[in-house]
Formats: sequence, structure tokens, C-alpha cells
Amino acid sequence: MTRHAAAPGRRRIALVLGIWLLALVAGIALIARTHFSADLSAFLPESPDERQRVLIEQLQSGIASRTLFIGIEGGKDAAQRAEVSRAVAAAMRESKLFDQVQNGDTSDWKESGTWLFDNRYRLAPDITPERFTAAGLRDAIVDTLSLLGTPAGNITRPLLERDPTGETQRIAEGLIPASSPRSEHGVWASRTAPRALILATTHAAGSDLDAQAIAVERVRSAFAAATREMGSAGPQLQMSGAPVFSVQSRDQIKGEAIKLATVGGIVMGVLLLLAFASPRALVIAVLPVATGVVGGTTAVSLWFGEVHGLTMGFGSTLIGETVDYAIYYLIQARGAAVPGTGWQRWREIHWPTVRLGLLTSVCGFAALVFSGFPGLAQLGVFSLAGLIAAALVARHVLPVLAPDGATGMGMRRQMAQVAGVILRALPRLRYVFVGLGAAALALVLWQGGHLWRAELSAMSPVPKAAQQLDEELRADIGASDGGTLVVVRGADEQATLRNAEAAAAKLQALVDQGELAGFESVTRLLPSEAVQAARIASLPDAATLKTRLAEATQGLPLPASRLAPFLADVEKARAQPMIRRADLESGPLGAVVNALMFQRPGGGGWSALISLHPGERFDAGRLAAALADVPEVQVVNVGDELRGLYRRYLHEAFVQVMLGALAVVLLLGVYLRSGRRLLAVCEPLLVAVLLTLGGLAVLQVPLGILHLVGLLLVVAVGSNYALFFDQLRETGRADEDTLASLMLANLTTVVSFTLIAISEIPALSAIGRVVAPGALLALLLSAAFARGPAGAPAVRH
Amino acid sequence: MTSGSKIRLERWCRGLVAALAFSASSAWAFDLPELMGLLAKQKSGEARFTEQRFVRGLEGPLDASGTLSFQAPDKMTRRTLTPRPESMVVDGNTLTLSRGGRTRTMTLDSMPELLGMVEAMRGTLTGNTQSLARYFRASVSGTPDKWTLDLVPIDEKLSAQVRTLRLSGRAGEVLGIEMEFIGGDRSVMSITPTRTAP
Repeated sequence: MTRHAAAPGRRRIALVLGIWLLALVAGIALIARTHFSADLSAFLPESPDERQRVLIEQLQSGIASRTLFIGIEGGKDAAQRAEVSRAVAAAMRESKLFDQVQNGDTSDWKESGTWLFDNRYRLAPDITPERFTAAGLRDAIVDTLSLLGTPAGNITRPLLERDPTGETQRIAEGLIPASSPRSEHGVWASRTAPRALILATTHAAGSDLDAQAIAVERVRSAFAAATREMGSAGPQLQMSGAPVFSVQSRDQIKGEAIKLATVGGIVMGVLLLLAFASPRALVIAVLPVATGVVGGTTAVSLWFGEVHGLTMGFGSTLIGETVDYAIYYLIQARGAAVPGTGWQRWREIHWPTVRLGLLTSVCGFAALVFSGFPGLAQLGVFSLAGLIAAALVARHVLPVLAPDGATGMGMRRQMAQVAGVILRALPRLRYVFVGLGAAALALVLWQGGHLWRAELSAMSPVPKAAQQLDEELRADIGASDGGTLVVVRGADEQATLRNAEAAAAKLQALVDQGELAGFESVTRLLPSEAVQAARIASLPDAATLKTRLAEATQGLPLPASRLAPFLADVEKARAQPMIRRADLESGPLGAVVNALMFQRPGGGGWSALISLHPGERFDAGRLAAALADVPEVQVVNVGDELRGLYRRYLHEAFVQVMLGALAVVLLLGVYLRSGRRLLAVCEPLLVAVLLTLGGLAVLQVPLGILHLVGLLLVVAVGSNYALFFDQLRETGRADEDTLASLMLANLTTVVSFTLIAISEIPALSAIGRVVAPGALLALLLSAAFARGPAGAPAVRH
Repeated sequence: MTSGSKIRLERWCRGLVAALAFSASSAWAFDLPELMGLLAKQKSGEARFTEQRFVRGLEGPLDASGTLSFQAPDKMTRRTLTPRPESMVVDGNTLTLSRGGRTRTMTLDSMPELLGMVEAMRGTLTGNTQSLARYFRASVSGTPDKWTLDLVPIDEKLSAQVRTLRLSGRAGEVLGIEMEFIGGDRSVMSITPTRTAP
């Protein structure tokens, strides 16, 4: 390398810049075509066990991701709320943006009721050959008669001649949910608050955020139209559910990313201007970061096929430390004896240190790549690629653009003086730090597992107040998806339906024993073809039925002569076509069927969902036991599974972070080749980590995976500072520029992570709150534990 | 003559006043709050019932019999023994129906018309004027020893099905319930208390 001419040759300049610009353009072109996602499931794990996969499928594409909970609260009175509820629901139905809009108004059920009645001999649960014997008929008719002359009988009486065995009633029994919301003025209302309720399912998939945003907006405009004339006396609109959260969090992520980039850019710019007093230096200092962002995004796009919004917002800040590369370079390449050779000196003396810093950071971020969370893995890939791209720019492009570093001196002299004062004072506090570290260690050990009590929901960007509203609305509606789900799978539609029927039979037994209040299964509306065929085969021909009916009605107050319509309907049913999903889909019950049964993404067959109404005597263990020998059935307790999932990932993250930290230490050991120096470098890092943890413990912050990742970053970033002091000790040189560059680099890191720390996105702020104080501590402690250059008293442990 | 007719007129007037006074005093003496007060004293009760239902289009009445029980403030059970066993258990807001080996649970307040019917009985048995007044216009006649409580539904959905309910009884005990449905069907239930607790 030293054989080359002092300044980089013109051809070389062209080559380096050409390659760099080409790579940048290619990267930007790719990014422009990249799909940016923002759904929260990226922070759900990738390869969970069977039950967890079922759950995640549900969260990603199941009905849970499309369900909207709408509350209409306050206003004048219940009648006004009911009026608004009807108007909003009508507008929503009309928009065709929703598969299902339920507000408790039963006036639209006529069409469904007629369909159910017409298909009763395929749908009713009890259609067996025994039911159509003389004894069976008699039994069923007596059963129906026992309802007559009661309020319920008033509804069934008009159907008596056509359905004396009460099949319609049996179907209705199955379809009336065990727990439905209160009804007030004909619409659903909360039991605890002055609030009318609407439950809706968007037609668009949960991942189609643009369509979700349109649907959410449609509800808002329908509500505005319905309450326009009410003025301030009108009720308030409340909305919750995954579509609302996804749309909100996407907007929030967008807003935060822009805010972070803007504020971060301004603060960085001011710092750099103070340091270099040169706009040119400012532009050059930003190049590695900018290239890193493009490189990172490109790598994520290539690796994962899409980029999550959080990766962008967050990764850019994570690799903010790459601005340090430029700072080091611009300062350290100065003062060359022959103009234009500063870059060579920098490469010989300082590049190895920067490279080591890069490698330790790479070790830190590599832990993220192997994380089971696609979201974190994306961040890992982003950071790795970004760091490497930025380092390459610092190594190859900056020497071309600024061979002798930055010229201006700016305020660096003052910075260096401040830094010098602090660094000289700090070693005196060494024992204070050691004492604090010991106390922190004791506190952390004492708190143990309690410290790591944050839950998955802590990572959700949904604000606490919104989560609470969501819980209230769900409780009002009696939505069971906070509890236990039974998911039935099959290779195709029919196999899934047959499995669901097997599961439903077991569940019905639990209902009859009073251990379950009820359940909802798609097979009540869409029985498997096998079951439909068996039911139809149970129906006797007209002549046989007529004879048996005459025998069955002897002595009953209902003479057979009045039941000719029954004979006709049974005969008609025998020739009816099979009920198929496709036929149902266009009808009024299509939405219900789609909600309870769906094709699994990726062509993996079908899933049917059985939602449970647990009741008071519900026991998850007995449920699991009852369903144990039904094929392809998973019982999923959403809360338990999510907690289990999170625990597993926390454990995994611990292992990964430990491996990452170990890799950093090994790397340092290989580079330093001295146990003494290694110890000196690791010591401040360890204490910094302990003090950060101790501080968080004192502040009673519940820690989670992201805090853990933050600690690894403290080690990765902090090792650069520790190495710096090691260098200082070995060479004995501590000129103003070196101190100033160190201080500046630390300031930029602390500033960018402080910005993250005050972000409203919990996942971001968790990392920021660890890294900002941790990085600052790592610098201060590195200084405090630094043994001075030759001559200063050496302290041995 | 004159005196005789005068006397007769006087007697007639006295009779009229007495009749007025009697009817007025009975109205003042026994009204809804008082009946409810009597009923509210009964905190629980058990009874046998027989029921006859007259349904248009059927030849002859439908008979049923069984037991009733209630426990203040909100538990009530109707257990039919003949012609076939079935039960209806109300506990707070939960209604559990069992017929032919099948059990179903429902929330009462999700079906206001059903809740109205339950409140007619539960409100009467527990002497809860408020919950009765929410669903019915109530009027009382008779004496504490032989009273009748007429209930006419207010709720739109309920009044589309039920025309009137008439409960009758003695002191704090309900001895009969008559229901008349829209469309002409009728049900008459007579109740024999088997055990009452204060």
C-alpha cells in the first residue's frame, strides 16, 4: 500500500467512487421496489411449536387481525346511542368493506333464518334414522309441544305444521351464543358503561394496512354523518382491534422515524459543526452513515424480501455509531508531514482499532440475526450490513474525499480541555465506581428473575389507554379471543370439517355436563358432506313417513292430518343439493363461515376455529383431555402461549447475548494478546453493564428482551472506548484531538440513543434507555479504570 | 209516604257511601307497594305447580307439572317433571335450560323479552317493584288475603308476544299465574307452596 503514490491515484479515485456510487444507486433502486411492512407480528417468533404456530397464524391472518371493536359512548341516552349504532352499522354494511357488521340488531336475520329453515334436515344435529321411527317422531313431537303455550312457543308455533319435530329449534339452540352482549333498545350495549357496541370484520386481510386504514376511516365518516346533527350532545366514537392498532402503529412508526431522523440529524449536524466548523466535513461525516442505511436496508430487503418499518426507524439509529468512523478519520488523518498522506498514516495506525471496533460491534449484532423474532433478525442483518458498508466507506471513500482529514479546528480544543479535566479526575473515583458496581451486582443478584418481568405486550406500540379500552370493549362483546381457542386443521375442506365435527361432539358432551357454557363451530352451518349425506339418508320416503307419523301422533293433541306440509318438506329435503362452502359464501351467512374457517396461508390446507364460551366450571385441563384423541386439534390458550413464547425467547436471547459477549471478549483477547490488557478492557465494560442494570433495577423498570439487546450494544459500543484507553496506555499519547474525537464520538452515540429513549414506541425506548446511559458509563468507566501511561501509578488486581 | 221514600233514599245513599267507602278503603289499604312489601318478606320458597296450556289449533289442553323454587335476590328454578323432565334455572344474569339431556346457557340481558318474562316472576316473588316497573305496567286488586297482580308489558318486543300476565296469591305467597299470549294461546298455572321460609 505504501508503494503507491502519496495521494490516491486518479484512476483509483475514479474506481473507488464509481464502485461506491454504483452500489449506492443499485441499493436505492432496490429499496424503491421493496415492500415495507408494519404489522406487529414481526415481533412474534418465527419457528414456534405447533400450538404457537396456530396462534401466530391466527394473529397474522386469522379473524383476530381483521376484527374491529366499536363503542358509541355517552351522548344523551340509550335511545340516541341505539339510533347512531343502527346508522353506523347500516353505512358500514353498505360500504362492502366489511364481511360482518354486528350490532345486535336482529332485523336483518330474516334471510338467514329462511335459509336455515329450508336446509334444516341437513343442519339439525339430531337427524338420525331413529328420530324418524314412530317412537322417535312421537318423542320429538311431544318435545315440540312442550314449548307451545310458553313465550318461546309463540315463535315456533307458526312452524308447527312444517316442522313438528322441532329441527329449526335445535338449530337455533346451537346458534344462540352462550354469552352475548346486553341488548338495549334493540342493539348491543355494554353492561358496565353507557355504550352501544358494534363488532365488525374487515373484508381486507389483516396485513393489507392500506385497506384497513380505508375501513377504519369509513367507520369514522359513518359516525360523523350519523352524529352531525347532534352537536355536542352526541355520543363519542371509540374504536379498537388489530386493524386500528396496526394502522395507528404504522402511522406512529412513520412519524417517529421522521422525527428521529430530523432531530437526530440536526443535533448531529450541530455537534459536527462545533467540532469541525466546516460544512464540507459535515457532509463527509454523514457519508458512512448514509451508505450504512442504504446498505442495511438493501441487505434486509434481499434477505427477508421485505423491510419492517421498525427496522428502518430503529436500525438507522443503531448504526448511528458509524458517524464515529468518520469523526475518528477526519481528526486522526490530520497533521500529516507531507500533504495528502494523512490517510495513509490513519490506515496504518488507527484503522486496526476502528476495524476491531467494527468486529466487536458485528459480534454484538450477529446475536440478533439468530434471534427467533423476524423483527429483531431484520435489525441484526440491517446493522451488520450497515456497519460493514459504513466501515468500507470510511476505509476507502473518505481517504479519496478528504486525504488529510478535516481542516477546521472548531471547538475541539475546548472539548479536549473538558475531556482532559474529566478524564484526569475520574481515576480518583475508581473505588467509588467499584463500590457502586458491587452494590449493583448485589441488587441484580437479589432481584434475580424478578428483574426480567416485562411481557410481550410491553413491546407492543399500543398505548396503555388504548389497551385498556380494547379490553373493555372485548369484555362488553364477550369476545373469547383473549381466552382459549380450539383450532382444527385438515388437508382439505372436507377433512377439516370432519375433524371439527369430531371435536364438536366432544365439546357438546362438556356442554351437557355443564363444564362449558357453549361453543361456536362452523359445522353448525356447514356440516361435512359425509354428515349431510348421513342425515339425508335418515329421512324415510313419503309413504313410510306417513305411516309412521300416523302411529306416532296417536293420542297426541296434534293430529297427523294437519302435518301434510311436514311430509312434503321432508320429501323435498331428500332431493336437496349438498350445502357447499362456495354456495354459502355469497349468502348472508358467508361472513360467519369465513370467520370460522379459512385456508391456511401458504397452501397448507384448511383450519377451522371453534370459539369457546368457557362458563364458570370451565377447566382447561379437562378440555384438553376431552379433545386429546381427536385428530388435528390444537387447544390454544392465547395468554399462556404468548407468555410461554416470550419466556422461551427471553431465554434464547440470554444465550445469544452471552455468546455475543463471549465473542467480543475472545476477539479482544486475540487482538490484545495479553490477559492483563484484556482484563483492563473488560473491567469497565462489566461495571458499566452492572451499573446500568442496577440503575434500571432501582428505577423498577421491568426488563425484557430489548433491554438485554441494549446491554449487548453497551458492550459492543463500550469496547471501542475501552480499547481507546488501552491504546492510550500502550502508546502513552493523548493529544487534544484524540480526546476530542473520543468525546465527540461518545456524545453522538449518547445523543442518538437518548433520542430513541424518549421515543413513544416502547420497543425503541427500551433499547435507548439502556444504551444511552450505558455508553456514557462505558466511556467514563474506561477513563476511570485507565491506568495512566508509563510513570503513573499502576494498579493491579 | 214522603218520610218512607226519604228513608229509602237515605238508606240507598248510605249504601252508596258505604260501597264507595269500602271500595276506596280497599284501594287505599292494599296497593302495589304493600303487596311488594308482603312478597319481599319471603326470602325463599318452594312449591309444586300444575300447568294447563290452551294452544289454538291443538285438540285439548297441554298439561305439565313440576316444582318451583326461588331464593332472593335473583335465583329461580322451574323444574318440569311431567310430561317430560326439563328445567330452567335463573341465576343472576344467567339462564340455563336443560331439555332432553341437552343443556344450554344464555345471558338474560341479551334477550330483553326473555328477561321481561323472568322479571315478571322473579320481581314478583322477591317483591322487587323496580324491576317489575321496568318491564310492566302493574295494577293490584283484591285484599292482602286474596290479591291479583295484573302485568301489561311495556317493552315492544315482549308486548308483541305477551298480552297480559295475571299473578294471584295470598299474603306473601304466589298461588297462580295466568299468561295470555298474542294470537290467543293461554297458560294457567296453579301453585301449591310446600315449604316457605321467612
